[in-house]
Amino acid sequence: MSLTTPGNISRNTSPNSAAPAPKPELKPIPGMRKTVKITPAEVQLFSKYIYGLCGINIEASKSYLLETRLGRMLENEKCDSFTTFYHKIKSDPSKKLEHQMVDAMTTNETLFFRDTNPFELLKHKILPEVFDRRMGKSGAIRIWSAACSTGQEIYSIAITLRELLGPTPTINLKLMGTDISDAAIKQASYGVYNKFEIERGLPQERLQRYFSPSGETWRIKDEIRSMASFQKFNLMGSFASLGKFDIIFCRNVAIYFTFEDRVKLFEKIADVLEPDGYLIIGATESLTGVCPRFVPKRHLKAIFYQLK
Amino acid sequence: MQALKILVVDDDPVTRTLLAKRLSKEEYQVDTAQSGVDAVRSIADNYYDVVLTDLMMPGGVDGIGVLETAKEHNLKTEVMLITAHGSIDNAIIAMKKGAYDYLQKPINFDELILRLAKIQNLKHLMKNASDLRLAMETTEQVSSETIQNLEMTVAALEERISNIRTILQRAGVSAEERISMALVG
Repeated sequence: MSLTTPGNISRNTSPNSAAPAPKPELKPIPGMRKTVKITPAEVQLFSKYIYGLCGINIEASKSYLLETRLGRMLENEKCDSFTTFYHKIKSDPSKKLEHQMVDAMTTNETLFFRDTNPFELLKHKILPEVFDRRMGKSGAIRIWSAACSTGQEIYSIAITLRELLGPTPTINLKLMGTDISDAAIKQASYGVYNKFEIERGLPQERLQRYFSPSGETWRIKDEIRSMASFQKFNLMGSFASLGKFDIIFCRNVAIYFTFEDRVKLFEKIADVLEPDGYLIIGATESLTGVCPRFVPKRHLKAIFYQLK
Repeated sequence: MQALKILVVDDDPVTRTLLAKRLSKEEYQVDTAQSGVDAVRSIADNYYDVVLTDLMMPGGVDGIGVLETAKEHNLKTEVMLITAHGSIDNAIIAMKKGAYDYLQKPINFDELILRLAKIQNLKHLMKNASDLRLAMETTEQVSSETIQNLEMTVAALEERISNIRTILQRAGVSAEERISMALVG
């Protein structure tokens, strides 16, 4: 919804109306932000740009997302059109604006122990199996949270491990969280959460055991924080530098990609998964028709995938 | 939307009655308590959206005590303190302990009503967010069951088809035999 009157509205060039009736001026509603409208050409320009940066596919019907999510940035940068904004981002050598745009366009909806099933699965099925198989062998057990957002998922995995193995595990574990958003990675590595983030998914007992209050926020304790490492990573790029993983969580991120990119993503995931490794995807996601290299397996109420 | 439920706590009967009257007129649901001790009892038995309490009260439980009890009982209860002119330091201590806001005596009713409207707004937004989340979680749970069942069924069917294909392509067996083997397997 825009409250601005387009500049050309009074330029009525119809030959039949000698004196065009003046369009009633829309009074701005106090407190309502004037949003800059995006034109269809600009939608195309930005969709392509954002797709190239992070693979997020903005369908034409969702172009309002560009207005709502980037509106604030336009205002801060004092840009009166998306085209001006585009040129401003493109000409910023520090790429700061580009990163900010990616932060604004990515969805960071996450919570601790989101959908409890995968963590139960991890605790009762996957981890015991991996530990058994790895007994007596050297090398770390590697777990990857692809698109870790602000860290809730990888820390939930770390807490699960801590509860299973105690404070001094003899097993060598490497937990890695990656995300495309700088802001998300930064928050994840600080491990600091506000009251609303902490309220969701964490029972009092776990909150008190694994977090320390600091002012209005809660910080994850070092014993958990030190278990995970974080880095910025684009799932659209090459996975060659990653090495192999025993367990991969890739939940609720492929839904933002086109079908073709989803196919490519899961192909690459198949390449970096150990032959007997485990893949966990979002509760409402499916790999049917996406990647024939994976076979779904059910354990209680959860599904995980293994290579054929 | 449901009107806010407010507990007014003040040992001064004049202020207490006046507050209760004005707030009832604004269609809030109002209870009163005549001391901190009385308030603690009410809070234990009832849920209040807002507790509006005098800071200085005799009888062992002052405004800070009421605040602590309210927050212990339900974090969702917002506490507003009424302070005498010049006791801002205490009000700040209360804010640090989780009070929503404070008002100075003499009470400006317009200001009080404005603050309450803000709390109402905030509660409305929070309820909205939590309703949305609940709706999303329910949808997600139901659709995930459907999707997972489909996922397993499709995988089983794919395996069956691939077995049938192998049987049908088997050499050295007559077509009829292959077909009957495939139908069984």
